[in-house]
Amino acid sequence: MLTFVSRRLVYAAITLLIVSMAVYAIFAILPFDPAALTCGQHCTPLVIRANRIKLGFDKPLWEQYWMFLHGIFAGRTYGVGSAAFHCPAPAFGYSFNDNMCVTELLQQKLPITLSVAIGALILWLIVGVGLGILAARFKGRWPDTASSVFVLFGTSLPVFVTGLFLLIWVSIKWKIIPISFLGYVSVFSDPIGFVKLFILPWITLAFAFAALYTRFTRASILETLGEDYIRTARAKGLSEKKVLRIHTFRAALAPIVTLASLDFAGLIGGAILTETIFNLPGIGQWTLRSVYEFNLPVVVCTTILAAGVVIIMNLIVDMLYAVLDPRVRI
Amino acid sequence: MSRNTARRKVVASLATVALAATVAMVTGSVSASAATKKLTPQTGGTLTFLTHSPRLDHLDPTRIYTGRDLAFETAYFVRTLVSFKHVAGPTSTSLVPDLATNTGVPSNSAKQWRFTLRPGSKFQDGKDITCADVKYGVSRVFDQTVLGDGPTYMINWLDIPVDKSGSSIYQGPFSSSAAGIAAFDKAVICSADNRTITFKLGMSVGDFNYLLTYPVVSPVQKAHDLGDKYDLSPEATGPYMIKENTSAHLMLVRNPNWNKSSDPIRTPYPDQILLNYGLDQQVQDQIILSDSVPNAMSFDAPLPTNLKAFFESSSFKGGKLNEDTAFVGYIAFNVKKMPCLQIRAAMYYARNAKALLDYAGGPTYNGSYTTSLTSPLNTVDYAANGVWGPPNPDWKPEGNVAKAQALMDEAKTACPSEYKRVTTTGVTIDVRQSSTLTDTIPINKAAFARVGIVVNYNPISAGYYPTVMNASKQNDLSNSGWSQDWPNASTVIPPLYTPEGGFDLSQNTGEAIYPAFHAAVLKAIGTSNRAAQAAQWKALDKQAAAQFWVLPTLGIKTQVVWGTGVQGAYYWLPQGEPDYAKLWVTK
Repeated sequence: MLTFVSRRLVYAAITLLIVSMAVYAIFAILPFDPAALTCGQHCTPLVIRANRIKLGFDKPLWEQYWMFLHGIFAGRTYGVGSAAFHCPAPAFGYSFNDNMCVTELLQQKLPITLSVAIGALILWLIVGVGLGILAARFKGRWPDTASSVFVLFGTSLPVFVTGLFLLIWVSIKWKIIPISFLGYVSVFSDPIGFVKLFILPWITLAFAFAALYTRFTRASILETLGEDYIRTARAKGLSEKKVLRIHTFRAALAPIVTLASLDFAGLIGGAILTETIFNLPGIGQWTLRSVYEFNLPVVVCTTILAAGVVIIMNLIVDMLYAVLDPRVRI
Repeated sequence: MSRNTARRKVVASLATVALAATVAMVTGSVSASAATKKLTPQTGGTLTFLTHSPRLDHLDPTRIYTGRDLAFETAYFVRTLVSFKHVAGPTSTSLVPDLATNTGVPSNSAKQWRFTLRPGSKFQDGKDITCADVKYGVSRVFDQTVLGDGPTYMINWLDIPVDKSGSSIYQGPFSSSAAGIAAFDKAVICSADNRTITFKLGMSVGDFNYLLTYPVVSPVQKAHDLGDKYDLSPEATGPYMIKENTSAHLMLVRNPNWNKSSDPIRTPYPDQILLNYGLDQQVQDQIILSDSVPNAMSFDAPLPTNLKAFFESSSFKGGKLNEDTAFVGYIAFNVKKMPCLQIRAAMYYARNAKALLDYAGGPTYNGSYTTSLTSPLNTVDYAANGVWGPPNPDWKPEGNVAKAQALMDEAKTACPSEYKRVTTTGVTIDVRQSSTLTDTIPINKAAFARVGIVVNYNPISAGYYPTVMNASKQNDLSNSGWSQDWPNASTVIPPLYTPEGGFDLSQNTGEAIYPAFHAAVLKAIGTSNRAAQAAQWKALDKQAAAQFWVLPTLGIKTQVVWGTGVQGAYYWLPQGEPDYAKLWVTK
């Protein structure tokens, strides 16, 4: 098992390295000068040249990349003299648009995105898996029909429609959950404020995901119920509740856990629409804006983060599978 | 509420007897005052602003330059030596002292200006504001590598030598040579009592004191300067200070070390100012339309699709402004690449300005045909130059194809090689990437094609100005816009037509008339008699227009909307924004 995990960790590190190199390479071949983007309307060639040197854009690409890697482990100082500033390790660069080290910004934005993703995950698992179980348990009856209607709406309504509807009607017009401008509050400092801030984004995301999970859970349970060992269990005289609880759920929910972990990983890097609609300055909104602004350090950082989360979640799933199925370890 | 209704009825009655074109303007401005109840201003509450922008351009006083940011920041937390008058109407463009005791004392033909600081003014940490702090604040603009984006007039005007490359030998407080520091110390002098500051200029500048309305000439404590990071939380000198500056909002609270006795301008009624960043534009409009946050004012114009709901529907009870701004759009010809006057003029006459204005929403909300690069709001310097727009009998809103064709026929013999290029491979126009390009490009292409001119577009996604300001990257034409920095064409004609201003996209220095034009510009800058100076600007505007160094597009309008709880709003001409310093809230 240790060998398996070590091997996967090495693969994960190599993958992250390749991802960061790829992002660097993509930005390098784009037809613009990153130094020119550090100043505005009165950006003279003199200023651009000075900023190019200050940020290291005057150096060969491989050297820039090396400085980037070095900064992650040792921190990095930009500029000289009294105007110099230091970004401590792990330094992913400096965002001129925000006047801050990228890592500082990440520390501000990650809790927001995690709050959105974790809350939505819990909600969609409860609703999606719950409805899926009901639909499978009462296949062909009204709970199954009702869940089908829910699935229909959930899969056909895009996130931006649900989100805008909830925000404009529930929050702005009906004022059921009045819009808050007080920014991010931690669940530990203000639990009620936290729920008020995130409940609509959770519902928006959970609505879309829960629909998929309802369908997936229903299919998975029905498939499991058709297995020979379930027939055996029933033949042994076990009650239907026990068959479902002990023999069916465990087997049917395993792939759902895999799916949920990957969806969760995707949300860490990409709840762009939800964050934009609800004005939650998390990773997704930040990444989108940075792409528009060609803010290389931020894009590299968020891409590596997104890739890292996917890799870690994959690793966890693989480890779980390795526990469940020793053949994977070979 | 009843008074509102009554006033609206009066407006409606007036509207029935007014000309259709005037109705829109009248409705706009009167509705604003109708929504602003004549109540006694009250202290307290939170005034909320909403914007879809992810942040303000800058908070650092040295770097603030856009009109909205200037109006907001100078109203609340940055004081300047001199200010525009905080009143409604044209008198607002006159100067009043702010941190200084007067609006400046010129001498030596306006080559030297002296300002004395008002006693009792303090930074937010309680320290007195001194001449040394103002001098340090001024020094910062010279380091454009760290503190760029602000107005750079001071670099051009102060009597500091330049090096071989034309750059000032003083490079700012972070990295200057001894010679540079000595030169700066000679150009900016503090009195022995540290209260009077004297600026020595390398040229006569009659309107130098207008520059002092800009925070680029405001005090900064050297000990607190963090370079680039000062932009995150600059020290306050005004009635409010920054409490929080996050990705979501900027929160201002009262500055305990500000006192009214030392500030004759500001009336800080609300306890707190909250500027919320990054809202979806539709959400922003719906908040104001539904009045769900009565104390909110939108920092951006409403979406075009919502303009009728705000301005033409009686169900909206909040306040609104629909006003002309001093902003003028234009497309600069790169004259070095397009030296043929006939072709430049032909492009002007061939352009279908009406189709573009109609596309943008028409004159009610989107502006008017440009008749001068100086805005009509600058009543002193503005005069229709007679070349552009309606005063020219040859000009037609939809384009004068016959006139343009005649010019192209002339060009065929006057500048055959350029004619061939323009009608075959075509000219390239630099434009900032935007969602409207897919609609406006076909309109323009079709208009120019009527006289055989082929146009290609070069949409630039990021770093637009750094790209087009680089002569080696600039194409035949570059889309742009400009607004006067203060009501003097000295902030329009020199920046746009001469390299000294720092925004000369027209590359016109090789033109035959340029030396005489340039000399006349310098003469106008140094003219202290305002009436004589205005006459010179009008003549220069006409001269430049006749050369078609730029292709004018539209004079721009702006709209501002707010909830029922915001009071005291009026349009403030100097920055083309509401006067934020006078707002108060009722709820």
